[in-house]
Order: sequence, then C-alpha cells, then structure tokens
Amino acid sequence: MAVIEETQRRGTLLAIEEVNERGGVNGREIVPVFYDPASELSSFGRYAKQLLIADDVTMIFGCYTSSSRKAVLPVVERLNGLLWYPTLYEGFEFSPNVIYTGAAPNQNSVALCQHLIKSYGRRFYFIGSDYIYPHESNRIMREAIQKHGGDVVGETYLSLHARRRDFLPVMREIRELQPDAIFSTVVGDATIYLYQSFADANLNPKTTPIASLTTTETEIRAMGFDVGEHHITAAPYFQNLESDSNRIFVNSYKKKYGDDEPTNMCAEAAYFQMHIFAKALEATNSMDPDILRPMVLGSNFDAPQGRISINPLSNHTDLWTRIGRANRLGQFDLVHQSFAPVQADPFLTAY
Amino acid sequence: MTTVPAALPPEMTDIDIVVATERDGSGEALIRDLQRTRNRIRHIWPIPEMLPADTDVIFCDLVPSLAARLPWLPGAPKAALVALISPGMRIDLDLLRKTAPEAILHRPFSSPAILSCLLLARSRFTYERRLRGRLEKLDGTLRAMRSIERAKTILMKARNIGEDEAYGYLRAQAMRQRLSVSAVATKIVDIGEPAG
Repeated sequence: MAVIEETQRRGTLLAIEEVNERGGVNGREIVPVFYDPASELSSFGRYAKQLLIADDVTMIFGCYTSSSRKAVLPVVERLNGLLWYPTLYEGFEFSPNVIYTGAAPNQNSVALCQHLIKSYGRRFYFIGSDYIYPHESNRIMREAIQKHGGDVVGETYLSLHARRRDFLPVMREIRELQPDAIFSTVVGDATIYLYQSFADANLNPKTTPIASLTTTETEIRAMGFDVGEHHITAAPYFQNLESDSNRIFVNSYKKKYGDDEPTNMCAEAAYFQMHIFAKALEATNSMDPDILRPMVLGSNFDAPQGRISINPLSNHTDLWTRIGRANRLGQFDLVHQSFAPVQADPFLTAY
Repeated sequence: MTTVPAALPPEMTDIDIVVATERDGSGEALIRDLQRTRNRIRHIWPIPEMLPADTDVIFCDLVPSLAARLPWLPGAPKAALVALISPGMRIDLDLLRKTAPEAILHRPFSSPAILSCLLLARSRFTYERRLRGRLEKLDGTLRAMRSIERAKTILMKARNIGEDEAYGYLRAQAMRQRLSVSAVATKIVDIGEPAG
C-alpha cells in the first residue's frame, strides 16, 4: 500500500508547506508529527493513541484503507480527536470524530455503473482484494448493476499480498466468462499485477475494460502507460482537469516532488483537507475539535477538483463525480462528469 | 470499619479485581475491603509495564505512565478503571482525561468510598459497553434494513408478487434455514436472485 499512501503524505505536506509559506495560521507554523504504520493494522490504533496521548495532537490526517480507519476510530472517538480521512470508501459510517473527504459510493459507484452499462454492456465480473472495502463496495455495485438490468457473472477475491501468478487463473476465468466489463476493487501493489496480467492475457481493454474506484495516475504509472490505456476509473479528481486551482496544485506538486510525479485523487483530497483545516483553525484559533468542527462543517473550498463543501449532515464532502479513461500518457480523459458537486449520501438513502 | 451490605448489586458480584498499589496500611485496607465483597482480588506491585486485561476492574495508582500501561486502546477498554490518588499529589487533569478512569479514589481509602467507587466504576463501564453494543447493532440494522428492502424488490420482480408476500417469503426462508431475515435477505442480494 506504500505507493498510494505516499501520495497522501505528499498532498498533506504540500498543503502544510503552502500554509506555512504564507505566514502560517495566525502567525504560527503548522508542524506535523509523523508516524509510519507500514500498512500494519495494529500499528494504526497504537500510533493514534500515541498521537492523542503522548504527543498532545488533536488532529490526525491520514489512513488509506478502511481497515486502518476502523482501527483509529474508537481512539479518536474516546479521546475526542478529529481524523481527516482523505480516501474514498464504502460508506455506511458516520462518526462525529471523522471528516470524510474522499468519495462515498453515491459519488462514484453509481455513475460508474451507469457508464459501464451504457458503453460496454451488462455482464460484469468482480475482482477484489480480500478485506472490508471490496466486499462492501461490491455489494453496493451489485445492487446498482441489478437496478440497471445488469448481471454479475463472476466474483473473485485475492489476498492483499497477491502475487502476479495469483492473477493467472482469474484471467483464465475472465476469458471463459467473457464479461463486458471488470469491476476491480483490488488495491495497493496488487493493482499493478492485475492490469499487467490482463495485458499479458491479451484481453482487450477497448471492449472489456477494468473499471475501478481506486486505480489512479500513480498506479497507472507503476503498471506502465501502455498497460493502463483504455481502462476506466471513477474519481472526483484527475490530474488532467482544466482549472486554475488544479494548475497551481499540479505545478507545485511537480516542483516539490519531480516532473514525473503525477498527482491523483488521494494527493488532492489530502491537500485540500489540510487547507480546509488551516482555514478553520485561522477562524477559531483553537485545536479543540469541539470548537473547530462547527467551523469545518458547511465550509467551502476551491479545491483542485472544483468547488467542494463539507456536508454538515454527514461530515462527508460534497464532491464532483467524474469518470476517466486512461490514455497513452498515463492520464485520464474525461468521459463523464457531474454538472455540480454531488451531495454525499454515505448511507445511500436516496438510491 | 464498615460492614459490607449483605446483598450487593449485580455489578459488584462475581467479578475479578486487580489492585496495583503499594501494600501500605491504606493499600492493605483497600484489599481487605474488596475481599469482603467476596470477589476475586489479585494484588500486583510494582505496577507492571502492562496491566492485565483479563479482569473486570483495575484499581491502580494514577502514575504519569498509566496510559501506556493500560492493556487496551482508548475507546476499547477491557475493564473498568479506578484511579488511586495520594494525598499531596498534584492532580494532573490532562492525565485523568487521557486515561479516562471510570472513578477515582483518594488515599486514605475509606470503606464507603471504596464500595461506592467500585459500584460506580462497574456500572459506568457496563453501561458504556451496552451503549457501544447498541451502536454496533444499530449500524448492523441499518445495513440489514437496506438488504431486506433490496431483497424484497428482487423477489417482487422475479416472482411478480406483492411486498407483503415477498416479506413473507423472506420470513419463511429464515425460519426454515434457521437464519435471521436479514441474513436471508443478504444472501438473496448477494446472489441477485431468490434462492430455493
């Protein structure tokens, strides 16, 4: 998981640097305290405890997987910290001690499903990593597919530590079942093996793409631009977006981390949530979550993806729905986007 | 010396208690009073690096390192905690907040204080555990309700039946398979069609 988590760290650091460069918050510098749980689940709770108890920190920024968020949750709830969680996830959660800045299923899965059925066909194959997010996310996707008259013809889960060879039987099955699209909830380093195995098996992404909510510019670069080409991702943000705020973000990111380093939805959410925090802190001048939270809820921000706001009903973010198709340059060409930010509906009450 | 009431509330009976404080006169009195409740008392001294988790209540000195010695993560306590405070000790409110004991007890310990602290700690702890359990259940129910709604729709479409009939089918299947209605519904949603 290191590669993708690193992009969240970079987005966070870049925003902190920007805030500090323009004089900090009310004249004071933001100084981050870092721990690297090394994707080890038990370390997340331990470090959260360490941050809130020994380091006197009240705001935690981070966590990529749902399992890591769930490990930190009881700690921030008991000690009344605030976790800023910049990752898309499967929804069905609301904690007053979390600000959710990644997409909820109604902001990505639903539109993705409609797009796939319209453009590729009704027969889906599911492949996922074996942990909470893929299982829950697939349940929601299946529901959306069935609602639109589609069918799930096959489903496989592989370990988070799956190797290249583990994908061979999957490709065989895909060849036999001939689905119209593959919905992948494979995350982390295994993502690369999935797409590469797909290419090695001579499957055609133009007619049968892998569609995902987690495969970003970063994973595409790691697998090879040619391997990623034509595959589909739904996300609130792509590096390719045309806007002033995105141009600034991409330029500063590349200046800091190198011209070859792509931005992605994880870096973007990590970046804008830190700016939202700084804005709220400027107004309240207090790190007390009970004072800061009301200032955060309902606030707006011109994020690289466009204007977004933190929904006070759910602590989730009203984000843009976008679907991109990877091109030869490892970037996503937009094939669909919402007219306005889509209200977060983590419990799918309106679907 | 006070006598322990003959009938103790259920929170105070048949429990394991760990006492981690020096066995001076006051400590001795604490242990003796707790023993009189006819519960199982274990004395540990000095305070171990990690306090034991296999107990119902921990009486422990409020030392600066207490948070690190608790065998659980904040928000997931495994036992009720009573912090023991010595006379003349500067009270560290931040430490108190971070260790989140259910009760505090001041030296020298008096029997009424010991008994009331034990009761308060236990009843607060069990009450919070019930609330946490209820929240967990609520989360589950929320998902279950969604599954049941979805399963009903699937059944109504597949068999061309009404809502009540669809729910009746779910209930009948649940009875037959000895599963909850929501488990049957989840299965149907997962497979995408009515089973059996």
